[in-house]
Amino acid sequence: MELFSPISGTIMPILAEGKLDEMTQKFGLSFPKFLAQVLIFVAVYAILKKFAFGPILAMLEQRRQRIADGEAKLEKIAKDLADAELNAKAVLDKANEDATRLIKEAGDSAKSLTEKRQQEAIHEANQILAKARESSTLEHEQLMSQLKREFGRMVTEATSRVTGKVLNSDDQSRINQETSAQVSL
Amino acid sequence: MSANFGPPLAMELLSAIFPTSPVLANVSSKATELFHGSSILEFLTNSVLVALLVLGIVLWFSRKATKNMTLIPHKAQNFFEFIVEFLYGQLVGIIGEKQAKLAFPLIGTLFIYILVSNWFGLIPGVGTIGVGDAVGPFMVGEVHDPLLRPPTADLNATLALSISAFLVWFYLTIKELGFMGFLSHTFGAKGGLKGFMGFVVAIVFLFVGVIEVVSIILRPMTLSVRLYGNIFAGESVLHTLGALLDKAGFPWSFLGSVLIPFPFYFMELLVGLLQAIVFTLLCSVYIQLSTTHDEHHEEEGHH
Repeated sequence: MELFSPISGTIMPILAEGKLDEMTQKFGLSFPKFLAQVLIFVAVYAILKKFAFGPILAMLEQRRQRIADGEAKLEKIAKDLADAELNAKAVLDKANEDATRLIKEAGDSAKSLTEKRQQEAIHEANQILAKARESSTLEHEQLMSQLKREFGRMVTEATSRVTGKVLNSDDQSRINQETSAQVSL
Repeated sequence: MSANFGPPLAMELLSAIFPTSPVLANVSSKATELFHGSSILEFLTNSVLVALLVLGIVLWFSRKATKNMTLIPHKAQNFFEFIVEFLYGQLVGIIGEKQAKLAFPLIGTLFIYILVSNWFGLIPGVGTIGVGDAVGPFMVGEVHDPLLRPPTADLNATLALSISAFLVWFYLTIKELGFMGFLSHTFGAKGGLKGFMGFVVAIVFLFVGVIEVVSIILRPMTLSVRLYGNIFAGESVLHTLGALLDKAGFPWSFLGSVLIPFPFYFMELLVGLLQAIVFTLLCSVYIQLSTTHDEHHEEEGHH
């Protein structure tokens, strides 16, 4: 019972007859006043719960939800932006690759065409040269032939004048042949 | 030479400043009935009148704050939201989200009601306007029956608050733990010891439980007396300081009643806030203590 002595020592004197009445008198405790205060407090509680706490907590929740939604949207936008940037980069890379390939192909094609054209030009030039040479040779031969004939005629004529003899066709032919043979040498 | 500056000189100086020796102001320890002798209106005391005024202020401001609420708050809404959010955050930190949703209306109301009541007592005229022995037109020598008295300086009101809080505490505890759970929580042995040691520990916890029950029963008393004592003491201090130069004659009595208590108004503002915090904080802690599940119960629950 020693264990409970502090409790009994504190409470029991207060609860003792007379002390409680004295306290009640001193502090003006009475049930109607107490009840009035309880009712007023309950009224404040009801008012605050209905008009203040409920709507304000709902508003705070609504605002929190809105902020959370905004944050989520922001994250989604950032993610979409990153994806779009990634896509754009991929498209650009592909375009770059295609362009490089096309340029290379065009370069190769142009080179090939150039070479082809060059070859054709060379071939054509060679053909022209060959034709020119042929033509030149032919012309040279014709000229030479004409020259020989002319030279034979002149030699025949000179011979005829020197000798004072009219040369017959055999002589002329023989002189011409000898002249031509010598000229060609 | 030094003997000339001893206590007699100090007393002379003090008596020169305060022509009359200071005595504690005669502030009544109980609320005064506004209609003496009426048994029907016995409940209508000066503190009930102020409680009704506080009720009106709270109603007016809460309506003003929550009227036409918008996501971008107006001034009153912003102010009230700040208070509610702050209180709710503090409460969640103490008793957790689940209990906070249930207990917040009570804790929030207690804080706002106590704070407004405490600060209402600092309004000039509260406790100093009333009925007394007339010394001139509209002037009394000493106010015997003040018209207004802060509710928190009336033990009826503080008891009403603490018993209301106690009932809500009991409801939340039983709702969370159940009656048997509450008994087990209060008297049950903790630590999970078995055998003889377990038996000894169980006996010890049984005694601890009895002490716990006594402390629970005393909680409304301690809460109400603490709040009442602090606010009543504040009233007494302000009245005493205000009346220090009452007998010195005009203008000293007037200047003294204004200037001497002035610094203490700031202290009383702080005390008013502090007492509101202490009351609500203790109620929160009581709820937290009794609604927290024991570890082994939770483990069993998980199994």
